[in-house]
Order: sequence, then C-alpha cells, then structure tokens
Amino acid sequence: MASDAHTKGSGSTLGPRQYIQITIGLAVVTVLELIASYAGLGTVTLVTVLIVMSAVKFGVVVALFMHLRFESRVFTQMFMLGLILATAILIGLLALFWNDSTDALGPEELPPWEHHGH
Amino acid sequence: MEATEAAHGEHHTSLGVDNRMLLMWIFLASECLFFGSLISTYLIYKGESLVRPLPDDVFDIPLTSLSTFVLLVSSFTMVLAVYAAHHNFPKMMKLSLLSTILLGLVFLGFQVYEFRLFGSEGLNLSTNQFGASFFVLTGFHGVHVGVGVLYLGSMLIGSMRRNGLGPSGGLYMEIAGLYWHFVDIVWIVIFTVIYLIP
Amino acid sequence: MATATGTLPQVQEETTIWTWLTTVDHKKIGTMYGISGFAFFLLAGLEALIIRTQLAVPNGAVVDADRYNQLFTMHALTMIFLGIMPLGAAFFNYFLPLMIGARDVAFPRLNALSYWVFLGGALLLTSSFIFGGAPDGGWFAYAPLSDEEFSPGAGLDFYAIGLLILGTSSLMASLNFAVTVFNMRAPGMSMMRLPVFIWMMLVVNFLLILSLPVITVALVQLVFDRNFTTNFFTPAEGGDPILWQHLFWVFAHPEVYVLILPSMGIVSEVLPVFSRKPLFGYAAIVFAGVAIGVLGFAVWSHHMFTTGLGTVPQIVFTASTMAIAVPTGIKIFNWMGTLYGGSIHFNTAMYFAVSFIALFTIGGISGVMHASPPVDSQQQDTYFIVAHIHYVLFGGAIVGIFSGLYYWFPKMTGRFLDERLGKIHFWLMFIGMNITFFPMHFLGLSGMPRRIYTYDADLGWETWNMVATIGSYMLALSIIVFLVNFFWTMRKEPTATDNPWDAPTLEWATSSPPPEHDFDVIPEVRDRDPLWYDRDHGIEKVEPPSEMHIHLPPPSYFPLLIGLGVLLLGVGVLSHLALTALGVVIVIYSIWGWALEPTE
Repeated sequence: MASDAHTKGSGSTLGPRQYIQITIGLAVVTVLELIASYAGLGTVTLVTVLIVMSAVKFGVVVALFMHLRFESRVFTQMFMLGLILATAILIGLLALFWNDSTDALGPEELPPWEHHGH
Repeated sequence: MEATEAAHGEHHTSLGVDNRMLLMWIFLASECLFFGSLISTYLIYKGESLVRPLPDDVFDIPLTSLSTFVLLVSSFTMVLAVYAAHHNFPKMMKLSLLSTILLGLVFLGFQVYEFRLFGSEGLNLSTNQFGASFFVLTGFHGVHVGVGVLYLGSMLIGSMRRNGLGPSGGLYMEIAGLYWHFVDIVWIVIFTVIYLIP
Repeated sequence: MATATGTLPQVQEETTIWTWLTTVDHKKIGTMYGISGFAFFLLAGLEALIIRTQLAVPNGAVVDADRYNQLFTMHALTMIFLGIMPLGAAFFNYFLPLMIGARDVAFPRLNALSYWVFLGGALLLTSSFIFGGAPDGGWFAYAPLSDEEFSPGAGLDFYAIGLLILGTSSLMASLNFAVTVFNMRAPGMSMMRLPVFIWMMLVVNFLLILSLPVITVALVQLVFDRNFTTNFFTPAEGGDPILWQHLFWVFAHPEVYVLILPSMGIVSEVLPVFSRKPLFGYAAIVFAGVAIGVLGFAVWSHHMFTTGLGTVPQIVFTASTMAIAVPTGIKIFNWMGTLYGGSIHFNTAMYFAVSFIALFTIGGISGVMHASPPVDSQQQDTYFIVAHIHYVLFGGAIVGIFSGLYYWFPKMTGRFLDERLGKIHFWLMFIGMNITFFPMHFLGLSGMPRRIYTYDADLGWETWNMVATIGSYMLALSIIVFLVNFFWTMRKEPTATDNPWDAPTLEWATSSPPPEHDFDVIPEVRDRDPLWYDRDHGIEKVEPPSEMHIHLPPPSYFPLLIGLGVLLLGVGVLSHLALTALGVVIVIYSIWGWALEPTE
C-alpha cells in the first residue's frame, strides 16, 4: 500500500513535545521581530534583520512542520523551483521598477518616490 | 480535494512517493508564484500612493501580531492533527483538527475586523495604490485561509464517519496539513514584508 | 460499467453520449480535446480569413474598425488558448500514458475535469461575440485600452474571466501530467529514456504551472480595476500600466514556448522513425528543451523595449534573449543530424516534420533580430512581427501538430490518412503559408503597422497585402483538403497493425487503436528506443496471461458537474452574482461527492 510506504517516508522523529518546542521557538522569533521593529534601528539594518528572521521562521515551518526535511528530495526540488523563481521574479520586477528611468539622472533629479527612501 | 484520486491499478510509483503528495507540493510551488506576484505588486506600489492614508496611518501592529500568533498556534494544532492521524489517535486528531479550524476562523475574524477598521479610517480599494494592493493581497490570503477552513472542516466531518478517513487517513491529513502550513508561511512573509518593514 | 475486471479479448461496449460525458479514459479525453481544439482552430482560421479579406485591397469595407479589433483579438486568443494549446494537450493526453507504459494518467478524474473546465471557459470566451461584443484590446489587453473608459463594453470582462477559467484548466492538467511523468513510468523507463515528446511536454507543464499564477494575479487586478473600483493600471490615480505589461509578459513569454515546445517534441518523434535511425543527440535535445524553459522566464521584458526600460535592463534582456538562440540552434542541428545519413522515407508526416525545421528556423531568425533594442524599435508593432510570430506559430506549432496527426492517426483510429490527399494538403499549406506570411516581412519593413483595419492606396502596401490574402485562401483550401481526407479515411476499414511505421516508442507496442486498458501487459523498457531494442535483440512481446484482472477507474459525472459549477462562477461575475453563488454551491457539493466516490 502506498500509505504504508508513506508513513515510513514521513516517519519523522518529531512528536508533540518537539512540536511544542518548535512553536515556542517560532513565537520567540516573532517577538524578536516585533522588538526589532520598535528598536529604532537604521532602515538597512532593520530590513536585513527582519528578512533574516522571517526567512528562519519560513524555513523552520517548511522543514519541520511540513516534514520537508524527512521527505523525498523530489518534494524539496519541486517546492524550491517555485520559491526560487518567485523570489527571482520579485527581485527582477523591483529592480526594474525602482531603477526605472533613473539611469541617466543625478541624485538631485530623482523622481519624487525615491526621496521617501527605500 | 482533487488530491483524493487513487493511483489505481498499481501502488508502485516510479519515484517511490505518493502521487497526491507530489501533486500538492508542485501546486504549492505554483502558489509561490501567485503570492510572489501579489507581493511584488504591493512593493512596486509602495510609495506610489497619491493620497493618504498610508501604512503608517492605519497599521495596528499589536493587533496584527495577535492574529499572527493565532495563525502560528493553528499551525501547531495542525501538526498535532497530522501526528495523531499517523499514530492512530482518533480523538486527539479530531480535537486538534477542530482547534485548527476554530483558530482559522478567529484569524479570519481578526482580518474582517482589521478591514473594517481600515475602512473606517478612510482606506478602501479605490482610495490609493496602497489600499488596492493591500486589500487584494491580504484578501487573497484570507480566501486561502477560508478555503483551508472548508477543507479541514470536510476532513473533520469525514473523520466522524464509521471508518474514519480510511486506511489512507494519515496521508490525507498530511496533505491537508501541507496546504494549511503553506498558508501560514505566506502570512509569515506578509507580516514581515507588509507590516513590519517600514 | 466500463471497468472493474475484464478478461481478454476485451468486449467492446456500446458507446453512448453518457460514456463520453462521464469518461475518465485519457484516450477519450484526448479525443475530446482534439476535436474541440480543431473546431476552435477552424473558427480562429475563419476570423483570420475575414481579417485578410478586409485587408486585401486598400480601404477595405468588409468589417468596421470596431469589429476588426474584435476579430484580431479573438483570432489570437482562439488560436493560442483554444486551438494550439488544446491540440497539444490532445496529443499529450492520448499518448502520455501510452508512451511511458502506464494505464492512465495519475489522476483520471482530474483529467476529465481539466477538459470540462476548458470547454466551459472556451465557450464563455467565444460567446462574447453574441453578448455585446468580443474583447477588442488585443490578446495582450494593454492598459489603458483595457480599462472602462476605452473598453466600456463587456468584452474585456469576458477576456479576464475566460482566461481565468482557462488558466485553472491548464493548471490542473499540468499538475496532473507532471505527476504522471514523474511517477507513472513503466519499469526501466528512466527519465533519460523518456521520449523527447514527453520531455518537451514536461517542460511545457512546468512553464504553465509556474507562469499561470502570474497572469492570474494580473487578470484579477484587471477585474478589480474594471468592476471593484481599484486603480492598479490607471496612471491618473497613481497606477502604472507598465505593471500590467510586466505581469502579462512574465506569463506570456513562457506561453510562447508552451505553444512551440509540443511541436518540437512531435518532430523529434517523427524524424527518427522516418530516417530509420535513432534521434541524434538525445541528451542535448532534452537539455536544450529544459534550457529554453528556464531562459523563457528571463526574457519577458524584450516585449517591452519600446516602453523605456533603461539601459541596463535593455542590455540584460537583450543578452538573455539572444542566449535562447543557442539551445534552439542545438535542437535544429540535432534534427539535421538525425536526418543526415538516414534512409529517409518521405511520407506526409515526414514532409510536415522536415518543413517544420525550415519554417521554424526562419521564424527563429527573425525572432533573434528583435532581441536587439534598436532593431526592435524599428519593427515593434509592424507587420514584421506578425510575420515572425506566424512563422513560429503556424510554420512551427501548427505544422508540427499536422505532422503528429499524420504520424499518430493510425494509432488513434486504426486507419491511415490518405497519402495522396495528404501531400496535396501539405503542398497547399506549405506554399500558402509562405505566400501569406513572407510578404508580411516586406510590409512591416515598409512601415505597415499591425492592427490597422484599413490603409490608403498610395502607401505601396497593396501588392503584398493582396498576395498575403491569396495565400490565406490557399491555407483555407489546404484545410478543406485535410477535412475531406479525414472524413474519407474514417469511412475506410481499419487496417493498421500495432506498429505500422516500425517506430521505437511504447505507444506502438499495443494495438491500433489501443484497448481501454492501454497495455495487456505493462511493457518493460530496456533502452531509449525500446521497441527497436527488443526487435534487434529478438525479445518477444510478453503474452498476456489467459485471465486478467485489470482495474480501471470507474466513470464519474462529478468532473462534468464541477466544470459546470466553474462555468457558472464565471458567468455570474459577468451577469448576476447569484449565479456565482450557485456555482460555488455546485463546486463544493461536487467536490464532496468526488471525494466520497469509490475509485477502487
């Protein structure tokens, strides 16, 4: 039966106890995120810190709650395909829009939205 | 629910993984692009709004943090339901499933409250680019939570039948869990990128 | 009951309408895709004929400007989404399980659902002609042409809702096929032994899985802009029409490869069979197909050079676009390498396959030309582009599909299409296609814009427009010859043996047409060209046991019901939201029924 093979496949060693620990860990990171966002860090530092922390949360849920770590590598490959492509297109689009028509302009000629700062 | 088709005839598969699990993972890859495009739109329109209110005017971080925790706990109860389904603890499974559904509904309640709050502060779909891209992005996330509630609700009703979810119950629960956790990780990204990053 | 157990020889059961409506058999679904796809192909061809008739002479008056806009928009939409894509899906549905040695796809009911949702979306989109006018903003529907001010009718709503439904169908089909290719292969059929057609379709499936969500978002934004007061694409309110263009082309460039890759796969099957030698450079062709798929996601902005992207993006997208010529070139050289030194057997399928190489190369070369922004600025929105896409999509996609049709026809029906009529069909189509589309290069270079509904007499465009129109009538004639051939052939007795062409792939290991369970015994694969290997090593076909119990999935009416629900969902958005609510109820009810329906 496929389900037998499957139960073996997802036979992660994690039990309720570990799941509680993971959940607490995720909650702690979320609190840290909140603290960081109120701590008055510089924009670049704050964005970096927040993105790293949310990536950690993302990774933990995918790897442990979704059992990706214990499953066939095919699943990882499939999911990463979508994730990486989505990230690449996001970065590509942002680069296109944020640099849009500013190629030949000096800083004083930046269009208004650039002054709000990113 | 399309994932309930049986791999009839032979139970052997070329990659040794279940068809339905594979389908769900590839579908989630597709969903990455869906939310990626919505988030791209939000970020591209960031700072393009011609009139207020802007994010700083309306966001209520403590409130959203609370609903974020609700969703996080629902992920925990979901993973318990999967665990219980695999280890054949029907009572624990039903209880965890029910908690997940209720937490999902609470999250949706928060979202409805938040939308109404923003509306009362003058932000709606047509106000500015922030309103349009914010409501469409978080609205579609909410729709996904809603579909998840229906999905898990169906599983709960199914598990109350005489023979429960059948011999593949653990598998069905795991696939439902994948969907639910994915909706959760999308919120992790939204919470950080939309709410916390200034 | 078409199912459960059966002992050989199979009893042919009576086929009724109900059988077709509830079928989950991939061959029947493939046939339905093929027939619907061909019907829409004819419709789109008819639209093209009206367009060409209008443009035959200066100041043509066959249709007015408004109707003309609808015609060229619907010609593109119908050809792309309702013609070429379903025809590719038809072959893939029919032959995917047969070529990998499976009894069906991974999710037979989902497969039926994909078809019914497709049919609903297709009818919805086409019905716009009756209900207040078809979409008229081009298949790309650039803002602000698509907003309420410039498209006050319902046409663009039909466009958005229709494409959303069709996208759902393609997504379900692609997920299903991808899982099938990965997981349902016969023993010994490793990934690097898959027929090239299967490989190319796998790339197509992933292109769709990963690009459809992007257009879904763009279409949702369009629907919101038109119906729910947002201003995503309204510049006066802070919106940006360029965002639509980006999202559209992130989808639509991969979509172009979705149209051409199936034909590349078909040709890669046909050429070795009629050259009597294995495909030259299998690994390179597979790799090139994957590379085309990957690069396809990195070139979208070359459709937007004239929007003022800035220097750096222009350089990046020029480079990535030109890079695509490399894997494409690899394929072309490998096909020529397959022909080289072969004992070539020229029948109609081979005529189409060989002409595919030539015509596609012409389209490819004019495509590389637009990769250069200065050249592109000259050619953008002229008939030069029209010439280019038709060399790729007609000379490539359609010609490849006809090659596959002549090649696989005996397998699907047990009958051979007539060779004499087939060659008349081929020559009329080949000459007609070149007469229609080659002059468009000249028209484009002499400045004739696309999508104008008429032109004045003294612009020097009369001659070539008349020539192109004559060519389009030749194309219509060639299709009539094909239809005559088809109906005449279908009246003949089936004479085809299992493997009449002595082809190497698994679909030829079973009877023509195949039994409902595809294979009496699941074949074992020992080589990339399994049937040639078995032939050369004297391996006999395994005899089926005297008594067999092959489990086939039972028919189901839930796919049809969900398809209906999805159609109502869309119709409701266009008319009254009560219908949408009814659609939701039907969909949820049927999903429940579906989940509880026994499949064992």
